[in-house]
Amino acid sequence: MALLSKQERRHFPDWDNPAECIFHRVAIDLEACDGCKLCTLVCPANVLEVYGEKGRKKARVKASQRGCISCNNCRAICANGAIGATQANDFVGFYRQLGRGEFAMPRRF
Amino acid sequence: MADSNAAVARFEDAEEVERQLGRVARISEVPEGAEWNPIEQAMLQRRSIRRYKRRQVPAHLIRRMLEVGRYAPSQGNCQPWKFVVIRDADMIRGMEDFCVAACKKLSSGFDYTSYPAGSWRHFVTRTKARLFNRLQPNMLHPVPMTVVTAIAEGRFAVFHQAPSVILLLMDKRGIGTPEIDIGICGTNIVLAAQSLGLGTCWIGFSKFLNQSPEWCARLGVEPPFELTEAITVGYPVGDPSRPIARDTHEIAWFEGGKKEILY
Repeated sequence: MALLSKQERRHFPDWDNPAECIFHRVAIDLEACDGCKLCTLVCPANVLEVYGEKGRKKARVKASQRGCISCNNCRAICANGAIGATQANDFVGFYRQLGRGEFAMPRRF
Repeated sequence: MADSNAAVARFEDAEEVERQLGRVARISEVPEGAEWNPIEQAMLQRRSIRRYKRRQVPAHLIRRMLEVGRYAPSQGNCQPWKFVVIRDADMIRGMEDFCVAACKKLSSGFDYTSYPAGSWRHFVTRTKARLFNRLQPNMLHPVPMTVVTAIAEGRFAVFHQAPSVILLLMDKRGIGTPEIDIGICGTNIVLAAQSLGLGTCWIGFSKFLNQSPEWCARLGVEPPFELTEAITVGYPVGDPSRPIARDTHEIAWFEGGKKEILY
């Protein structure tokens, strides 16, 4: 059994079809977020912003998430662990990901 | 002894030879579950940094990084690299402008998602994208195409306003697959930078500069050399060293006549 069927190899997913190209989603834990603005600063795609009144500011994803490359620099920078991309990119057909396991932190063997 | 395994036989009793010579090399014992050593730490904490402080990186640190790059392994020891270091903000901005223009062309020619569905432009660009996908499936992967459009629309920077940029030029006559040697050399550079407290990012979109005769002349990119990759260097904003869970990948493990799949 081939890893990719002939049909799959021939099929290029449609870039704008969410059923075929599943991009990461950025999730924000509003309880943990203290609106420090660091994530909006490091986001290369500039898709994050801070809203709310002074003292109770929270981060959010702008109306359009296009351009987010799931680099997760927001998660790396957040001292409260309040933000991050929640899923990996996933594609159907030609670009289907193969041989992947669960996400894991660095494991010491 | 014209044994076909003569080369293997020569090494068979190497440890015994060591003992006879009285020159037994020490074997470093690393117990199971040991703490990460500094090199492993640098590897685990490295992230692609895309936001830098304006402060310039001292020149001697760039020299140190390139020195480590010089010692990278390469096929047949051919060392198929040449470095170009750019530390002038004006020049980096000029390169940025050229790459943005190239992305605009690529985006308007291929990214059908920016045209309304059912329109003539949508149809033409989609057909073109499908065709080129077959020829260059790596280039038209959905992720880089998303970034190409983001760059074209000014939502994403190419060189991330880094204070220093290192261009890796590849000698196309390199032995075997010189692209791999460039990758190994760049990895040395990037890990050295990490250990020096610097942030780096690989910039594949810098390849567009190969299309510009003016930039090639200015940067000294001429055959047999080709601009393959760029690495931006600078001090990262904030502390991005927090480890993050990553995908695990299938490992086929052959031992004791058995095969196991590990992750």
